[in-house]
Amino acid sequence: METSIKPTNGTHSSSSVRQSTAKERADRIDPYGFERSDDFDYESYEELMSEYLVILTRRSIKWSRLLKGKGKVQKNVKLKRYVRKGIPNEHRALIWMAASGAQDQLEKNPGYYQSMLAANHDSKLVETIRTDLNRTFPDNVMFRKSSDQCLQKSLYNVLLAYGHHNPSVGYCQGMNFVAGYLLIITKDEEKSFWLMDALIGRILPDYYSPAMMGLKTDQEVLGELVKLKIPRVWQLMEEHNVMWTLVVSRWFICLYIDILPVETVLRIWDCLFYEGSKILFRVALTLIHHHQAVIEQARSLPDVCQAFKQITQGPFVGDCHPFMQKIFTEPGSLSMATLTKLRVACRERLAAEES
Amino acid sequence: MSRKKAAKGKAANSKQSAGSPSGRGAVKAARSSPSIVQMNGVVHPSRPSISNSNEFYDIAFKVMLVGDSGVGKTCLLVRFKDGAFLAGSFISTVGIDFRNKVMTIDGVKVKLQIWDTAGQERFRSVTHAYYRDAHALLLLYDVTNKSSFDNIQAWLTEIHEYAQQDAVLMLLGNKADATHNRVVKREDGEKLAKEFGVPFMETSSRSGLNVELAFTAVAKELKYRSMKDPSEKFKLHEYVSKEMKGAGCCGT
Repeated sequence: METSIKPTNGTHSSSSVRQSTAKERADRIDPYGFERSDDFDYESYEELMSEYLVILTRRSIKWSRLLKGKGKVQKNVKLKRYVRKGIPNEHRALIWMAASGAQDQLEKNPGYYQSMLAANHDSKLVETIRTDLNRTFPDNVMFRKSSDQCLQKSLYNVLLAYGHHNPSVGYCQGMNFVAGYLLIITKDEEKSFWLMDALIGRILPDYYSPAMMGLKTDQEVLGELVKLKIPRVWQLMEEHNVMWTLVVSRWFICLYIDILPVETVLRIWDCLFYEGSKILFRVALTLIHHHQAVIEQARSLPDVCQAFKQITQGPFVGDCHPFMQKIFTEPGSLSMATLTKLRVACRERLAAEES
Repeated sequence: MSRKKAAKGKAANSKQSAGSPSGRGAVKAARSSPSIVQMNGVVHPSRPSISNSNEFYDIAFKVMLVGDSGVGKTCLLVRFKDGAFLAGSFISTVGIDFRNKVMTIDGVKVKLQIWDTAGQERFRSVTHAYYRDAHALLLLYDVTNKSSFDNIQAWLTEIHEYAQQDAVLMLLGNKADATHNRVVKREDGEKLAKEFGVPFMETSSRSGLNVELAFTAVAKELKYRSMKDPSEKFKLHEYVSKEMKGAGCCGT
């Protein structure tokens, strides 16, 4: 009978004082309005957040000090360093607007957003956008019709205004998710519109235009970079005849939305607005480089696809602070000159293939 | 993100399929191994293989879902794969994705690798590269959306240009449960299908109408073609018209 008697020690909760589980302590809805899935790992999340909250608090104090008494945010080495360490959510909209030039555009063009909304609606554009309204973040409470300040109407407005503002792009699937995130963060249609303008008009190459040349080019550029930096993975892709578009088109088009965890995506966007589209390659190369062994186990095209999904999940990407440090070290140097050169070469190659 | 499933134990993917001793992709292995017969790009391992989900199968085929944005391709796939209809829970498909399902057809385990594609026109230049490897294509329109029906001709042109000539093709009028909003009559679908000589049926992911049948018919046809068993005769058109149910009879 000895075995049935166990001393109660501190690590195990006794039955009389039941401790709450991590699931009970955390909300079903994340801070951005997304419902957590049934298999959400609350234990790991709690562990991760206990460390991350310390970092967030420290960064928040530093940012408050940095921004105190400053009328206008100036881009400089210090701010860049701060951005890489993460913008506190309360300052995100401000810094994104300042760093991307969206704020300047908004100030230079008062009433422009409203005029784009008031323009004669292109019926084809309206229909295309409407098709995706219910299919944008159905798992986010802010995008539900039952929600008090439902963002669906704002989403429609921003996409419609942007389509009128840039008719050569109009609306491309993927833009709904981007605009959705901008609305979640800025809670402001006009700011979201100008941030869309900054992203699509200046920061990103032509990802969303009908020919999608910028997307096709960047997929090839990534291939070239992998060939240089992670040749064994490149070799495997060749062997199984996997086109890069199959595994990474969503990474680029959705700017990692719905690929990586929300917090990680926002940290990437902090750098995207400040430093430009190069950051998208840093993230892709880090994901591939870090999981080289996983990818190399693939024995077929479906295996490769599965591996590329697997590498975007788990604690490596969920623990966003160390992940964001890794993207600047793990893939090694990546100069803008190299990128520009590769983009030119790949675009020429694609143009030759298509003609 | 919140909706993401955690990656658990996926390393099992890496298990070599029993029929590919070289450890390369199945098709490549087929070329190098005498024990494997390859016909029409179809892989016939000498003994059952293990798919990603660790399910055994005898033969594998690639099926593509195509059609305008919002006609219900992802919904149809999930209905078939998981038997679930989750209204309003899907996000727009960007790019291309696939899911596997193993069906048993006349005692043969047939793995369908079903590719779901983005419907928006500009994505076609990204997705049509995948048409050429497809053994079958399911072309969908939405019976509540006239323009999705009007675009079928353009889709057929696209398919003829990029897919294999002998690929199995089927036309599906989806959302057949939506009686009030219907704008495309069943006869219109039938007429168009007849014009192009493709089998046709109306489907509904909500009620499940003909969902299983659409995939079964395709799997049967592909299995029949690849086995070339003289003792069995299979006519896709006949099978479809015999088995198909009307929108009225099981929509409730």
